[in-house]
Amino acid sequence: MTELVLTLIVAPMVCALGLFCLRGKGGGTDWIRRVLVVAGVLVVCVASVMLAMGRGGGQSETRPSGSVFLQNGVGLHVLPNHHDAIHWGIMAIELLMAAYVLYVGIRSKKWFIVILMVAQAGLMGWFELTMTHGGGGEILKVPQDLFVDKFAIIMALINGLVGGGICLYALGYMKDYHAGSGHKDVADRRSMFFTLLFIFMGAMFGLIFSNNLMWLFLFWEITTLCSYLLIGYTRTPEAKRNALRALWMNLLGGLAFAIAIVLLQRQTGATELQEMLKLASNKTILLLPAALLCFAGISKAAQLPFSNWLLGAMVAPTPVSALLHSSTMVKAGVYLVLRMSPIVTGTGVGLIVAVVGGVTFLIGSLAAITASDAKRVLAWSTVANLGLIVLCGGVGTYAAVWAGVLLIIFHAVAKCLLFLCVGVVEHKLHSRDVDAMSALIVKMPLVGGMMLIGMAGMFLAPFGMLISKWAVLKAVVDASPSLSLLVVFGSSATLFFWVKWMGKLVQTVGIPDRIRHELHAGEAVAMCGLTVLTFLACVLFPLISLIFIEPYVDGLPYSNVPRELLGSGNVTIMILMMGMVMLFPLSMLFRSRGGGVKIVDPYLCGANVEGSIKFVGSGGTVETMAMNNYYMRNLLSERLMMGWGSAFCTVILAAMLAVMAVQACR
Amino acid sequence: MLGIKKSPWIIHYDASSCNGCDIEVLACLTPGFDVERLGVINTGDPKHADIFLVTGAVNPQSNTVIRNIYRQMPEPKVVVAVGTCACSGGIFRECYNISGGVDSTIPVDVYIAGCAARPEAIIDGVVQALGVLDQKWKDMQEFAADIDKVVYGKATKSNLPSILALEKIAYYRESELYGGGGDAGLPVETQTLVSLEADFDRMTCVKASINGKIVGSARGYVEAETAHILNISVHPYCQGEGIGQRLIEDLQKALLASTAKRFEIRLGHKSTQGAWLEKQTYRSIKTEVVTPTLSWVFYQKECVPPVH
Amino acid sequence: MSINSWISLILYVLAAPFIGGALTGFDRWLSARMQARRGPSILQSFYDVRKLWQKQNLVVRSSQNFYVVFFLIFVIFTGGLFFAGVDLLMVVFALTLAAIFFVLAAYKTSSPYSFVGAERELMQMMAYEPMVLLTAIGMYMVTKSFQVDAIARHSGLLVLVLPGVFLGFLFTLVIKFRKSPFDLSASHHAHQELVRGMTTEFSGRTLALIEIAHWYETVFLLGWVYLFFASLPWLGVLAALAVFLLMILVDNAFARLKWHALKSAWVVAAVLGFGNILILSAFKA
Repeated sequence: MTELVLTLIVAPMVCALGLFCLRGKGGGTDWIRRVLVVAGVLVVCVASVMLAMGRGGGQSETRPSGSVFLQNGVGLHVLPNHHDAIHWGIMAIELLMAAYVLYVGIRSKKWFIVILMVAQAGLMGWFELTMTHGGGGEILKVPQDLFVDKFAIIMALINGLVGGGICLYALGYMKDYHAGSGHKDVADRRSMFFTLLFIFMGAMFGLIFSNNLMWLFLFWEITTLCSYLLIGYTRTPEAKRNALRALWMNLLGGLAFAIAIVLLQRQTGATELQEMLKLASNKTILLLPAALLCFAGISKAAQLPFSNWLLGAMVAPTPVSALLHSSTMVKAGVYLVLRMSPIVTGTGVGLIVAVVGGVTFLIGSLAAITASDAKRVLAWSTVANLGLIVLCGGVGTYAAVWAGVLLIIFHAVAKCLLFLCVGVVEHKLHSRDVDAMSALIVKMPLVGGMMLIGMAGMFLAPFGMLISKWAVLKAVVDASPSLSLLVVFGSSATLFFWVKWMGKLVQTVGIPDRIRHELHAGEAVAMCGLTVLTFLACVLFPLISLIFIEPYVDGLPYSNVPRELLGSGNVTIMILMMGMVMLFPLSMLFRSRGGGVKIVDPYLCGANVEGSIKFVGSGGTVETMAMNNYYMRNLLSERLMMGWGSAFCTVILAAMLAVMAVQACR
Repeated sequence: MLGIKKSPWIIHYDASSCNGCDIEVLACLTPGFDVERLGVINTGDPKHADIFLVTGAVNPQSNTVIRNIYRQMPEPKVVVAVGTCACSGGIFRECYNISGGVDSTIPVDVYIAGCAARPEAIIDGVVQALGVLDQKWKDMQEFAADIDKVVYGKATKSNLPSILALEKIAYYRESELYGGGGDAGLPVETQTLVSLEADFDRMTCVKASINGKIVGSARGYVEAETAHILNISVHPYCQGEGIGQRLIEDLQKALLASTAKRFEIRLGHKSTQGAWLEKQTYRSIKTEVVTPTLSWVFYQKECVPPVH
Repeated sequence: MSINSWISLILYVLAAPFIGGALTGFDRWLSARMQARRGPSILQSFYDVRKLWQKQNLVVRSSQNFYVVFFLIFVIFTGGLFFAGVDLLMVVFALTLAAIFFVLAAYKTSSPYSFVGAERELMQMMAYEPMVLLTAIGMYMVTKSFQVDAIARHSGLLVLVLPGVFLGFLFTLVIKFRKSPFDLSASHHAHQELVRGMTTEFSGRTLALIEIAHWYETVFLLGWVYLFFASLPWLGVLAALAVFLLMILVDNAFARLKWHALKSAWVVAAVLGFGNILILSAFKA
């Protein structure tokens, strides 16, 4: 097991090194890059599936040397004899990163970044030095640096399969990206791009499996840096601006993280995640570090005062948006919040975290209505769904955590699929406006169909996200009914923007041309794979729950476990419904042409000319009809909603931290 | 059929009326007359409507609208011309821009006279239209049920009024390709009973009928060595059932008895039937411009004399 | 599922179209009487459907009718779930799914009028959805169960503890029945700017199916009204009928609104529905 986990962390890094060394242009480089990427993806996918399979078989398998069964998972001790070397290595990497960030901050004259970085580096440096030398070198030694539990395995599977798929997709996509007319002035830095993708993947695995908070922090900061570099990939002024914004917001979270580690170590002597959970009942000591970690999570997950960075991050090429900014990196934020949920549940901190999540869900969903750029719609919807997961983490009851983990799974696969579809559509139609996607199901049946599946997975009744939303609603009603207001209003807003997008895809005016060669090989593999994953996740969710989520939640320190989560009767009905919905595409496939109907033009007040799309206007001129969605911008102002929402969330978060700090000082 | 008579849904269109008749149409909906008690709904949507009420005479602008609306109504459907203008053009008949009553562009089933037509008259007309609607629906059912019992034979002089009506319905869609209505369409649209009778006297006419109702007709004559085949018409309810092909075959046999060496059929240049004719081994030989909007395309095929 | 729930499920599937059709006919008759007209027969909606069944089926896109078939299937399914007594939230989600099929059907027809109708229908769905969910939540908080049969067996009169929720639910019913202040997306009456909204491009049998789906929907929604009075069955039936009369009155007494549907419905949901729930949770605590 240790080997598998280490493989997952190290293999992408090695791959990244190889890609980094790959310079020059031309077919040969392309070919080697392709081989490297495919090999790296294969290793990661196989390793993460093996890890899941091994764990699925039960706990009684051969126990790896140096491993310890923790409360809810297996702790792994990596290379116990080289502890010091690793420790110094980590410090060196951290210093290097800090130096780079400082350089970035100074070069761009963003003094806020400099201040944050100095504060964070100073704190950590002081902490590590005093702890290692002043207080005796043994204190920071942690028995198990890594650990594996069901939640970590779920995250690893998402990272491995979804992330691997995106890397494959990126091969074809980036080629088109630089070949296309839209990005002629963007330097082709594909080696850098893939290097960063793989570094990020390795760091993400590290983040998932870290038990030692120092390690977790290191990987956390690596993902922040990768995100910064990838957002700025195109080097346009807008990209640079947005990348810097993402950087400082995440650094703020990083600072909170650093403070949390120091406080935790000072108060309990522990720097382990599992150790924290063991002490979960001792809320007075743990609450402040947990609140700070939640704050870090909130900033990483782009919750309301910080949502801006995620929206700005959409300037990056689509694989980046799909990988970092919807399916994995932002999930690290909610991952941390969910990890903290046994500690914060039932406290004021929990309530405030939940409110921040709920408000973000509502405002994100409403703001998505006003967006016409498909990627912006997806970004807002990502922010909203992360909000829902944060809400679950804040509520923190058994059912809520269960629903939160389920949301992570469904959101990762379905949203990633949607991002990839939008990426392809953008290259083919040269627009990513939702209104431009009219008749996509006829123009690009494959991509259009996948997009519809992804959307169905995002909000439609018997599928993925809706199951989770339902569970969230039940959990929230049981825990604190007042929060349900945010959920019900938010989820009805989700409905609006998804259905109007779906409607655009099926709406077919006139006889559109079919677009040939919809997909590259890598894109096809990734997107078909994700479609299958989305489908399987929807169909097999009771199984996923049984094998992964329930054992994980059962291991958490909860006293009252609900008798049943959704009820077996409901699951049966849902599967029945799923079957009925499946009949729909099938009936479309096997419909008889003609079928007793007669085709006529649509009604245009009798003014039709030449088929279905033109009519005689009031001036006697021939006009072409056009239909555009409602965005309700006069009713919902994105700017106003964001302003008020951010102000509200900032105030409650600040109040929370201030009150906690005052209490801690006493 | 009970159901269809109990729920007539109406679409009302003002072709160029002075609004007098329109106000009377709306008056029918008011409590005083309340046509809803007969199940009438004013839908405003051709796809839902059964009865098309038109007021006013037809001008070039309203012509296309009338034809569009008529085309977008599902069968069976009935057209009611409300008021003198809609019946005949009324006092506007001689105007430069008026092509006549509604029947100058689409087949009209019920005429309601009056300037303006009184609500009682309109209601009476609608009730009569229900009878027509019912009859059309029955025809539709009957033709669909007895499509395998078509009887073919020579047409008689007493058939001519039915043939005239049939040709107008059958060529309605085809004629529309050229603009439709008045002089813009195919000649068949402006043909009268008198001209048809003249044709009958010098041509061979064949018909197809179901239960005595004429659903198809065609006629032809021999001039020099060429046998001309004209006006192959099949009722819209029975199109696509092979009736047209059978009529042509019958006519070819009948004309072969005389001195013909080849058959000739002409089509409008926008017609979609060319491919079908080519399948019947006809070849297009020449095009002739008739009006600015219409050219004839001539198709010919050699006769194969019967082997005795 | 018990025998009783099977019986009520089958009864619903078989009887709802007759009850719904008669109610719709009654609606037209009573509306006419309110306008001092004689009005059509009570059976008029059956005549209409029978006629539509015999008409030619015109379409703009050949696949548009499939969406309507699935709309009908899921409306029946929704009501079936409700009368079989399963989870109320499940019923709400199934109802939403059905409505989405209808909206997609309207999008598929690709006509400007049905497009506008579809967008407005979506807006209305967004308007009523929160209140419908809050109704389910309110019922859960009182009866401790989301199961419809358990709610129906609750000993107290729900309307007494949930008056705000009940009023809010009535408000959403006006939208759901497509009655006058909120008949934005489609209606039986011709409207200049909308023609027939979502149903503009449907004709013949497909239009008949839409009508039948609305009959099923009517019965299901009145069944939900009954649930507020379930402990006294006779009162429940009376209340459902009274609510239906109220809807007709509202329909005839109000002019149409535009955008305000969303705002007003959300305010009602937030104030009446949520206020009620807050008070309930305060009492529980």
